[in-house]
Amino acid sequence: MTIETKDHMALPVVAADRTYRPLYLTAREDLLGLVASWVGRCLLFAITSISILTVLLIFVFVIYQSIPFLQQYGLASFLCSTDWYPQADPPRFGALALIIGSAYVTIVSMAIAVPIGILAAVFLSEVVTHQIRNMVKPVIEVLAAIPSVAYGFFAIKALAPWMQEYLGIPTGANALNASLVLAIMALPTIISVSEDSISAVGRELREAAYSLGSTRLETTVKVVIPAAHSGIMAAVVLGTMRAIGETMVVWMAAGNANQIPSPWWDLTQSVRTMTATIAGEMGETAKGSTHYSALFAVSVVLLLMTSVLNVISNILLGRSLRPSYT
Amino acid sequence: MQGHRPQTMGWTPIPEAMTMEISRPSVTASQITALPSPCPCGVIKAEAFSLYYGQKVGVRNVSMEIYPCTVTAIIGPSGCGKSTFLRSINRMNDLIPGVRTEGRLLLDGHDIYDKRTNLVSLRQQVGMVFQRPNPFPKSIFDNVAYGPRLQGIRNRMQLQQIVEQSLRAAALWNEVKDGLNKSALALSGGQQQRLCIARALATRPRILLMDEPCSALDPIATGRIEDLIEQLKASYTIVIVTHNMQQAARISQWTAFFCLGELIEYDRTERIFSNPTNKQTEDYISGRFG
Amino acid sequence: MRLALRLAIDKAFTAATAIAVIGLAGLLIAVLGPMVAGGAQAVIFTSTIEFRRMQLNLYNRGDHDQITRQIARASAARQKVYDLIDEFKQGIDTQYLADQVRRIHRQFGQELKERDITGPTYAELRAISAQIRDRLEHALHTDDQDIWRADLDYVLGFSSDSRLIGTAAEAYFRIARQLKQATNGLDLSMRSQYALALKELEDILQELLGPRPSSAAPPLLRQQYGATRWDQAQRLLHRLLYQTKWVEQGRGRPLVRMEVPRRQRFEGTCLEQLFDYVPNHIRDMLLPRLTFYWQFFIDDSLESHTFGGVGPEVLGSILITLMAMAVAVPLGIASAAYLAETRSTGLPIRIIRMCINTLAGVPSIVFGLFGLAFFVLTFLPALGLGARPSILAAGLTLAVLSMPVMIRSSEEAIKAVPSTYKEAALALGAGPLRTFLTVTFPAALPGILTGIILSLSRVAGETAPVLFTGAVAMGPIPKSILQPTRTLAYGSYDMAVGDRIAELSPHNQYGMVLTLVMLILSLNAMAIILRARASAKLRGH
Repeated sequence: MTIETKDHMALPVVAADRTYRPLYLTAREDLLGLVASWVGRCLLFAITSISILTVLLIFVFVIYQSIPFLQQYGLASFLCSTDWYPQADPPRFGALALIIGSAYVTIVSMAIAVPIGILAAVFLSEVVTHQIRNMVKPVIEVLAAIPSVAYGFFAIKALAPWMQEYLGIPTGANALNASLVLAIMALPTIISVSEDSISAVGRELREAAYSLGSTRLETTVKVVIPAAHSGIMAAVVLGTMRAIGETMVVWMAAGNANQIPSPWWDLTQSVRTMTATIAGEMGETAKGSTHYSALFAVSVVLLLMTSVLNVISNILLGRSLRPSYT
Repeated sequence: MQGHRPQTMGWTPIPEAMTMEISRPSVTASQITALPSPCPCGVIKAEAFSLYYGQKVGVRNVSMEIYPCTVTAIIGPSGCGKSTFLRSINRMNDLIPGVRTEGRLLLDGHDIYDKRTNLVSLRQQVGMVFQRPNPFPKSIFDNVAYGPRLQGIRNRMQLQQIVEQSLRAAALWNEVKDGLNKSALALSGGQQQRLCIARALATRPRILLMDEPCSALDPIATGRIEDLIEQLKASYTIVIVTHNMQQAARISQWTAFFCLGELIEYDRTERIFSNPTNKQTEDYISGRFG
Repeated sequence: MRLALRLAIDKAFTAATAIAVIGLAGLLIAVLGPMVAGGAQAVIFTSTIEFRRMQLNLYNRGDHDQITRQIARASAARQKVYDLIDEFKQGIDTQYLADQVRRIHRQFGQELKERDITGPTYAELRAISAQIRDRLEHALHTDDQDIWRADLDYVLGFSSDSRLIGTAAEAYFRIARQLKQATNGLDLSMRSQYALALKELEDILQELLGPRPSSAAPPLLRQQYGATRWDQAQRLLHRLLYQTKWVEQGRGRPLVRMEVPRRQRFEGTCLEQLFDYVPNHIRDMLLPRLTFYWQFFIDDSLESHTFGGVGPEVLGSILITLMAMAVAVPLGIASAAYLAETRSTGLPIRIIRMCINTLAGVPSIVFGLFGLAFFVLTFLPALGLGARPSILAAGLTLAVLSMPVMIRSSEEAIKAVPSTYKEAALALGAGPLRTFLTVTFPAALPGILTGIILSLSRVAGETAPVLFTGAVAMGPIPKSILQPTRTLAYGSYDMAVGDRIAELSPHNQYGMVLTLVMLILSLNAMAIILRARASAKLRGH
């Protein structure tokens, strides 16, 4: 048996100068390697831990700055009064109207965004082909990419005059305007997260429903959405987080009137949110003043709200990652 | 035939003339087994070697000696631990969490699983070719030069020389010599696998591990790789895991049959395929195995 | 029947989902449309000669000779306007004329002295001059048409006096004749009202054409030039031709806005032809031309964004973003590498992941507060760098904000690298660090870059975190990273709500926002392309 040399090669000369480092490390090399890898690992771990440090720093600093105010003013009157008059003598800091204002625009925006978002997600995952989906995705990505200040600009320069002109609302900067724009901003989050979870529902389940004679609506509402409910709820919570933490749009478009809307269904009233208050007033306060500290107290409330929502969304997302139809 | 089996030994540098002798372009298979010792290729010896993933058994109580400058095929049903055994030889299993070993696995008399083992040196001496061609997303040249560069060779001329030698050795040189800077991912599957062999050869190993190197390739590409293995066994100890028994019969001199993590039978290929001593081996080879 | 209903409802449902998506596209157009339409006008618009004159004067842009010629041409066309006004003024501007008359009297006296005319002749001529002066002044102050005419005729009676011909006194007669001509058909009692209307007219003309060539340059830049944009010129022309009045429609009813032709107020006077001349020759006077003002993106703004561009804002946004990335990218990639490569699933790793999630959920305004309380007021002063908002503080704040995005996208990119690459490298004898640096990282690089670009675009668009940490609405271009800067995002906010003067130049408001949006969208487009390339590369094309 002879070897056919297809490449008419000279067989490996490589073998000629094979010299190797010894298979075993010397004690010194061993120690050095151990130390180096340990140091490297610790360094990387330290860098990665910066995230922990940052979260801690954020909570510590924000809470720490708010303590003088809370000591002086009391938690009860801070949370239960609607009088926010930082310039009065004596100044009053009742944040109830601000908290309700934040919740108000957030709830209204979710009431608008959630149905539209879920419908759009259903459309993308249940109705159309992959190609059309790939055509729509950039639209959602662009909507998500537009910075919030540009949305605020749109709210105040295009939407507000339009509302005054055509809806006969006395002021264009109101809760409805802010909620509409917040809804637009929350839509991309809601659509993409709920679309992911709807798409993740197994084909078998869908095929079973269709084979039993269900229409698309029935399949979607009775089978697919219940199976994907964790992910959809996570989407709603994430959208809520985005809306409640948004600053520029509500600052520019919500009108900034410190009041609880009354009657509550009248969306054309101006409201003021926590974020807008912080953004609007922090620039005028002196470091260490009661007002400064009070604004940090407002941000503590905001931070707690978003953190709770964050925990909920993580639990929901974790649940939706498991196959949800079992 | 028994008398031709080289003795287990530590590797010692060989004189130039000897190397030239080995590197002759047309040596026959019978000549190789008849080569006088010492041989430059490595010897692997397992002594009651076991490997566990946590509680799961990878391989259990394997004792065998793999002879230098031969092709040893490892066959067996899926999940029998043949890949695990192959990957323990260059400690690629270290990547999997919770791995522990018992017994000894020796390379030229040194325990591979000694805690002082220099993994870099080990893996330089024990090259590996994987089931699926896995060239780096770099140029062909950079792929082959990866190993030598790790060893600190920076000289462009020297690198070029090594790359050419390795590609020639892997029977790929004529196909790629005009496009060494092209992406390796642009090659066909068979070419990619030969590139991976060239890449492994460029580190100048003594042992070449091949984990089902042809399972992702078409018959023509498979044929070329098999030819290549024939040529390479002159200067490398080759251990090849394969599903394909014809392939094992075609290219190997020794065959080990693994089943359920244990070594069932290990003998000359002709013997295993013509006259196995073990019932299980016979069943497997004749296709009666489940 | 029931089936038909079910199917109908199903159809309606499908239609509703489709409408939701089409609505999304509609929303995108509704949001971006006005911005693009408005913002494009900041860069591409029809400029007038005034704009080109300004560019030449301020930045020495354009062909000097050509613009000078154009200015001369425009001035020639404008001269007629100024002539008409001057002629009209003769009859109206009594104070000016009275001053002139008095000056002529003094001049005449001077002249007589110079010609050595003394004694009785001098006294006589002085008396005549005084008489003429008095009558002219009398005429200028009367509202009675007859007295007016009588006075002027009396003065003109002296015009044949040979002793006065060839002297300064001749100016008296010129004025008298012009007065007579100019006030032909003029109601003298309306003179004060005419003066008011003329003042209004002249103000509009100054806005339209700039100050008269002879007058001194006004202090404000926006008064030194006329309408720089053709659309602005059109609006001013409309204001010139029509006067807005609020008319009462009856008792108790709201006032109604009405537009009255301004021409009516000058009916029958020589100025009436101005209202034909200006609309017919406005092109000659302003020489409109389509301009691509790309320097909008690099020019500093002038007079609260009345003129100029968004150069400092673009620069500031870039500086702050780069600052943030310089910190966030190395840290983010290192963290991502550790998280992706570590085999541990222990408590520390779980806590780190939880913290990254928490960080991603913190509202941006809280990052702003944190940046103020920590970086501006604690960290930088501790380093001896001064407790004030700066690019450094804003960059660090944004770095913290972008860390979760960076880490997540980089980790995903690193995990997307096939493990076979890693195995191959390890099998060739590379250590873990070597393997990561030479194989995993290069293969993950496009994915990591995509993540970097996406966080870049997020950081560039953030406003709330930089409100108190480094952004200002007005200010000089920063000289070091320890100074605050203007940014596109904050500038957009400020121009939209904070700045009244900016309302006068909506194109600049929109231009600023559009610049920001375009910057961010082009970054996103880059990321999308890169992502497609990256996945194609990993697939081996």
